[in-house]
Amino acid sequence: MRDGGSDAVALSVEGLTRRFGGLVAVDNVSFELPTKRLNAIIGPNGAGKTTLFNLISGEIRADAGRVRVHGQDISGLKPHQIVRRGVSRTLQIKSVFSGLTVAENVRTAVMAHEGLASPFRPAASYRAVSVRVDDLVAQVGLTPHLNTRASALSYGDIALLEIALALANEPKLLLLDEPVCGMGPQETEQAVAKIREIAESVDVVLIEHDMEVVFAVADEIIVMAQGAILARGTPAEISSSPEVQEAYLGAPEEAD
Amino acid sequence: MTAAGISRAAVVVLLAALIAVPLVLPMFGSSFWIDIVAEILIWSLLAASVNLLLGYVGLLSFGQALYFGVGMYGAALSVIHWGVGFWGGLAVGVVAAMVMAAIAGSVAVRLTWHYFAIITVVFSLILYFAAMSAKPLTGGDDGISFSAQSVLTLGGTKFTLADQSVQYYTILLVVAFCYALFALVVRSPLGVRFMAVRENDRRAALVGINVYLTRYTAFVLAGALAGASGALFAFFGRYASASYMFYHVSGEAVVWAIVGGAGSLLGPLFGTGLLIIFREIISAVWEHYLFAVGAITVLVVMFAPRGLAGAWSDLLDVMTRGKPPANVPPSSPSAAPGLPKRAADTTSGG
Repeated sequence: MRDGGSDAVALSVEGLTRRFGGLVAVDNVSFELPTKRLNAIIGPNGAGKTTLFNLISGEIRADAGRVRVHGQDISGLKPHQIVRRGVSRTLQIKSVFSGLTVAENVRTAVMAHEGLASPFRPAASYRAVSVRVDDLVAQVGLTPHLNTRASALSYGDIALLEIALALANEPKLLLLDEPVCGMGPQETEQAVAKIREIAESVDVVLIEHDMEVVFAVADEIIVMAQGAILARGTPAEISSSPEVQEAYLGAPEEAD
Repeated sequence: MTAAGISRAAVVVLLAALIAVPLVLPMFGSSFWIDIVAEILIWSLLAASVNLLLGYVGLLSFGQALYFGVGMYGAALSVIHWGVGFWGGLAVGVVAAMVMAAIAGSVAVRLTWHYFAIITVVFSLILYFAAMSAKPLTGGDDGISFSAQSVLTLGGTKFTLADQSVQYYTILLVVAFCYALFALVVRSPLGVRFMAVRENDRRAALVGINVYLTRYTAFVLAGALAGASGALFAFFGRYASASYMFYHVSGEAVVWAIVGGAGSLLGPLFGTGLLIIFREIISAVWEHYLFAVGAITVLVVMFAPRGLAGAWSDLLDVMTRGKPPANVPPSSPSAAPGLPKRAADTTSGG
């Protein structure tokens, strides 16, 4: 928006609506996020944040509305088609291929991105893929665990592995659902540094409950409540908005 | 020697032993056992078909006998009506089974878990009853029979399946070819997709894999394996019968695959071998030998959930513990598979 033209809009959501029975989880939500920004979506439990992500990534179908990524309409596409159009995401409950090693996990994602599905040539013989696997694993700092089974990794390392999987398709837009949830202070610090680093080359939208993290990393914050957008602004604007404090951060005297 | 090296050597020994079967077994005066080994090889492909689905894409099918039966009838009918011979009949059987799997699979792989298991049973029951009632074509329970087919004519000499050794080596050749293809596929990028879907279908979709198409491909390939098994069995027995499409045949294949170890290439071959040899020995003296088969299955599931193949790889781990395999660091819990952990795994999984 600030640079003008649709190229400068990373994500555009228009009238997005999803009902579950009588509950309107996401209620006619519209917004545009500019590129080169680290955007965060916050809101109390049940505000519709994860549903919004599920709608964008195609895992659930919208009742109404459109989603565009860098001007490209992805509404109604299947999750794997949306991934192939450059939208990646991580899940609130970290989701990797637990029975496979770190290298095998990332190899799977890289091969899927390259569209490789030959039934005959050995997977290990693709040199270019192996190089990218090593690069991605190094990028998230998991090289020492290259041949460790994902199920044997620490929680923080699983989260990093999931980020590596999400980066394998060279995303234009990366959706992170509570990336530091369940992490210790040290792991959180590392993950935040990693997210900042990634956001320099990829447009990132994150959902986060940890306010300290959100205010530290986000350029701009969208506050959701009851399926709708309550407020939007810089961290400073959001933290000083009485409306937000009342709906989300609690009564003013409790806020820090 | 590394665990992988020992396993590779074991495969070579196995192949050598299988090649030696018609030469060695008659020395003990038991050419009967040559046919038993041939039968094990044939049925192991049906177990391999279950294994491809259960062990590699995570789908439990209780209906693979359907594709076995279609392969059987494809071979028998094309030999009887069109005179296509062994190789033609084998091809028709495999293709027919793949077509059947392509039709059933388009519905079945939309479902997972018990829904998938149930729909595979339903499909096989429908076709079983159809085949039973289409007596003029299929011969129903009695089946249809044909004569031993020729495999190869070499300089005026005809090699036919009537010769026990020719039949054995023909079966070994086809079965070995199927396993080689299986090995190739599961190591390929397609195999990588299979395992991604088995491990985590949601994440698989989120890295850009079409989960439905991947499961569908595996289902059709599994149909081909079951079809090859059925076609070979038709040539071996020189007949086809609708009774082989019944779901207890499917169930037996599931047991062979699980006892042998789903998710390993050759595990189901050993599961099939163990249980067929057991059947041949015990059924002669004890009519209710299936009780013992049930007991063996329960024991394997409880104490070696990854089957014979899992027990084998644990044994290799113990033998080569001095230098742990590169891909399993010493800190990994899977490097120290104690029995209590096993038991805990089983209970939490159930």
